This record gives sequence, C-alpha cells and structure tokens, in this order.
Amino acid sequence: MPCSIDNSIFEKLHKNEAWLYTNVSALSTITFQSNSDAHTKSVELYDISKNSPFVVFVNGVFQKNVSRLSDGVTINTGGGDVAKRSGTLIPQGVCDGVHITGTQKETIHVLQMVAGDAPVACYGSVFIHAREGETISVAETNAGVGEHDHLLMPNTEVVAEKNSSVTIVRAIRGSKHAYHLSGLHVEQHESSRVQTHTITLAGKRIRNEVYAYLDGEHCESNFDGMYMIGQDQLVDNHLRVEHNMPNCNSREFYKGVLDKNAKSVFTGRIYVKEDAQQTDAKQTNQNILLSDDAGASARPQLEIYADDVACTHGATTGEIDDEAMLYLQTRGIPADAARTLLIYAFLNESLDELADGEFRSNLVDELLSNLPGGEFIRELYL
Amino acid sequence: MTTPLLEIKNLHASVDGTEILKGLNLTVLPGEVHSIMGPNGSGKSTLSSVIAGHEAYEVTEGSILFNGIDLLELEADQRACAGVFLAFQYPIEIPGVSTKFFLKAAVNAVRKYRGQDELDAMDFLDLVEEKAKSVNLDTDLLDRNVNQGFSGGEKKRAEIFQMAMLSPLLGVLDETDSGLDIDALKIVAEGVNKLSSPERGFVVITHYQRLLDYIVPDYVHVLIDGKIVKSGDKSLALVLEEKGYAAFEPSACSCGC
Repeated sequence: MPCSIDNSIFEKLHKNEAWLYTNVSALSTITFQSNSDAHTKSVELYDISKNSPFVVFVNGVFQKNVSRLSDGVTINTGGGDVAKRSGTLIPQGVCDGVHITGTQKETIHVLQMVAGDAPVACYGSVFIHAREGETISVAETNAGVGEHDHLLMPNTEVVAEKNSSVTIVRAIRGSKHAYHLSGLHVEQHESSRVQTHTITLAGKRIRNEVYAYLDGEHCESNFDGMYMIGQDQLVDNHLRVEHNMPNCNSREFYKGVLDKNAKSVFTGRIYVKEDAQQTDAKQTNQNILLSDDAGASARPQLEIYADDVACTHGATTGEIDDEAMLYLQTRGIPADAARTLLIYAFLNESLDELADGEFRSNLVDELLSNLPGGEFIRELYL
Repeated sequence: MTTPLLEIKNLHASVDGTEILKGLNLTVLPGEVHSIMGPNGSGKSTLSSVIAGHEAYEVTEGSILFNGIDLLELEADQRACAGVFLAFQYPIEIPGVSTKFFLKAAVNAVRKYRGQDELDAMDFLDLVEEKAKSVNLDTDLLDRNVNQGFSGGEKKRAEIFQMAMLSPLLGVLDETDSGLDIDALKIVAEGVNKLSSPERGFVVITHYQRLLDYIVPDYVHVLIDGKIVKSGDKSLALVLEEKGYAAFEPSACSCGC
C-alpha cells in the first residue's frame, strides 16, 4: 500500500522562505485517491532500455508483472535515514520502494508513474547503497499520465561509501498537469563520486530538491539539471550541498529554457563547515527566456565557515547570443531555424553527458516535441 | 562585359554611431583574388562584417552589388545562400551540436534556396568525406561540437572546410592567418587554392604579407582609415612589408596631398 500525506500542509507552505516562489496551495484543495486501479498501459512508453533492469511503480505500488529485477535490486518498504537529515516533506507511513546495492553492469531503470480517472497522490522511495568501491547507475522516470492534477512525491536516498561511484538521472516527463515534488538525498563518504542529473520536461509545478552531505574527504559531486517548460509551468530546483569535510569538490550546473509564461526558480545553498578547508564549490544557473512573460529567479546562498575555500556562483538569464545567430546565418541557416538550433544546442549540451545512450535519445525525442520548431532538428539527425 | 561578382561603391558604414568605412570602392570579377591589407582599426573586419550582413553595422551611404543584385537588401542567411561566404577571424563555438549536424542544416538550407534537392544523410556524409579530403581535414573533428576545443589551426581549417561544403561564389577570408603558425597557414592556403575557379572570387583580408606568399592575389588594396588609399598588384604587398603602413597614412603626405 502507498503511504499517505496530510495535504493540508500545502496550504501555507509558500509562507515558508524555502517555498517563497512556488505556491502549491492548490494541492490542499484536491481530494486525492490514495490508490486507483493500476494503469499499466502507459508503462510501455517509458520502458526505454529493454535489456536493462526495470522497476515499475504505478500509483506507488510495485508492478511485478512489468518489472525486471536483477541481483542487488530488491523491493522493500521504507527508505533509509538520509532523507531524515534534510528536514523536508517526507510522507508518513510505509511506502513501496526499491533498494539497489552492489555494482551493477547495467543502468537500473526505475519508473514511478501516477495515473487514474481521478487525482491520485503517491509516493515512492528509491534507496541506493553503494558499498566500498561499487559502481551504480540509476535512471529514474517520474511520469504523470492524463489530465488530472496528480501528485507524485518520490524520494531517492543515496549512501555512497568509500571509493564508490553513483550516477542518477531523474527525468520528469508525461503530462503538463501533474505536480512533482521530489527529493534526492545524498550522503557521501571518503573519495566517493556522485553525479545526479535532474531533467524537467513536464508537470505543472515541479519542485526538485537535492540535499547532499559530503561527510568524507575527497568527495566529487556533480549535481546538474536541465529544464524546458512552457505555458503555466513552474520548475523549482532547490539544492543544499553541505561540505562537512575538507578537500571536496562540488559542482551544480542547472540550465533551462522558458517559453510562454513559464517560471523557473533556482535556489542553491552551499554550506561549508568550519573545518572543511580546501572546499571547491561551483554553482551555475543559466536561463534562456523565449518570451517576455517568462521569468527566472536565481538565488545563490553561500554559507561559509571555513577560511580557505573556493566557492563561486554565477547566474545568467538572457536571450539567444547574437554572435552565434550571425555565425549560423552566415552559413545560410534562416533566423528561425538558427534560433531553434541554438536553443537545442544549449539544452543538448546538458544531455550530452548522460552515459546511457538509449535513455538520452529518448529524452531528446521528448525535448524536440516540446521545443518550438523541434521538427527541423529531428531532420538533421545522421 | 562580365558582371562583377562584387561591386562596392562609396561604402560608408558605422558601428554605434562611429563611422568606420568612409567611402570604400572595390570591384571583384569572377576568378579574381583581391587582398585587402591595412593596419589595426582601418576597417578591415568592418568590411567583412558588412558584406556578411552583421546587424550591428549600419550602412549609411553607398551600395554593394553581388552578382548584380543588391546585397544590402538581403538578410545574412540569404546572402550566404546567394553565394557569399565569410570565414570568421574568430569562429564561434557552439557547445551542444556537432559540426556535422550543424553543417547538414547549413548545406540543406543553401541547397533549398538554390532550388536543389536537400541531401539525405548518406549523400551528405559522402559530401563531407569528399570535401574533408580536399582540405586535409580529419573527419573525426567533425563529430565534435562546433569549434569547441578546436586549436587555432583546426578552427581555421574548419572554416575553409565549411566554405568547401557550401561552395560559394565569393569567399571573404577575415584575417584567416591570425594566430596560425607557418604550417597551419600553408594548409589553410592550400585549401583555399583548391577552391579557386574561373567563376569564384576571393577577398582575402589580412594584416600581414606572409599569407599572400601562399594565396597569391591578383590585386592588393591598402585600406587606411576606412578608405582604399592605394591599389596595385602583388608587389604592393611586398612594399608594405618593407615600408610598413605608415608610408600610406595620410599624415605621411607621400601621395601628393
């Protein structure tokens, strides 16, 4: 059974500084069904890599018949303790979830889908435990299906032990009506490497929280994100990276394109503890606005208690670069197509780094469907 | 009479309200190679930007005819499709798209404009192979993002390769030699020379004479303060090399003013 949440908490959430720009009070007025008959017919859409393990939850319930498990991938209830450190919204009760551990040859695909004939709220948990020296790659798809105001609240927790390596791609896809409030809670130990990539292509209100705890020396952490949204959509990427030990590098690189009246919020807090010397933390947020009604807010928040660190942040919000436009036009490409190509390039740069080719090209495909003039790009594929 | 490829008359152009070109005249016939030489700030890059259609440059007086058509009436992309190619002094980097991908868009846009069938992936790749070979370019480079991480020499060779792909009537090379060592310079010059034909003309803009050892011009023009002050054959470049631009500055008064 899925766990529950008291939706009255959403009513005044935006009074809280951390939710200042993201009003989800409408959620408190929706009567959610805790479960609805499993709608598995859309699962096929997101079964991207047929040779890879595939773990499917529909409306918070594990779907055994359409899933493919592998060694080290088990279904359980309840997550670990990392999310508790974040002090964020965590559903009560016990959720269906998946526990992933041990070096995995293939990327583990996890689908959390919400669907139904009435609004459904559901939660899910992914717990990734990379023990010493292990390598794990997970691709998560969070998808809303249909026209209803569904609510999906997945939490992913990561414990990366010494010398381990974890890669997570989380893609928010599907309908433009669903609410996505997700958490990613990462605990890193000595010389571990964690890379996360949060890609938002759908949803009405999308809040992607990332909390990272660098608890060992020489951690490498990359938290990246990309978004392409339009009419009546808002994405809020909310990060807090805690440098608790010396000699760790963290990078946050979020970029996105906002069409029509879309809004983006980026809040990046970097906390550097007193003795976390030689911390190197970089934070970047880049936005391209395609319309006068679109808007972006970037809030870098540096909280530094050590005195020998390098922390940088940069935010840009703008239009397409004129010099690049001219360059393309001098090659015969008309202005409209040149603009589309440059927007695609801007977003694709972020996807270029995704290791899983099938997942990547599937995302590019959805991206091109959302991108005005995207058909022109499709024709260029070789 | 042959229609000039390029006929610039009394061209005045400004950027941000400052006049840079102050009455420039230049006629290029098919098959000719013209070199424009001049000191920094004389207006060399402004000339190439105006020909290519950079919107920041305002033409306040004069005309540019390309193959008999009014070039100034065309947008930058239409100029490219009509057959004008500018090799940039500083080619722009575009992370996120490969050179091949970008060039497929360019080649097919140009072909469409010229009433030719667009190339499918197979024919396009054949054309890439053929043209890359002709300018000695490693095709692996073309799978990388546009100009990103290219060395100075690779960027300039990629520009010449793009020119070969788009087969223009007029090639304008804006300080293509800047930042190149002598070996890279030779490769670039060889690429340009392979493209020369009786129908095609070149305007080679440069600060130094050395490029002209390898791309031999039919005419050399000295551009000073927005005007061509002296024209001659290739020997003029050697005079410039020896005496410098100062001899041609209006203040030197060596030309009977």
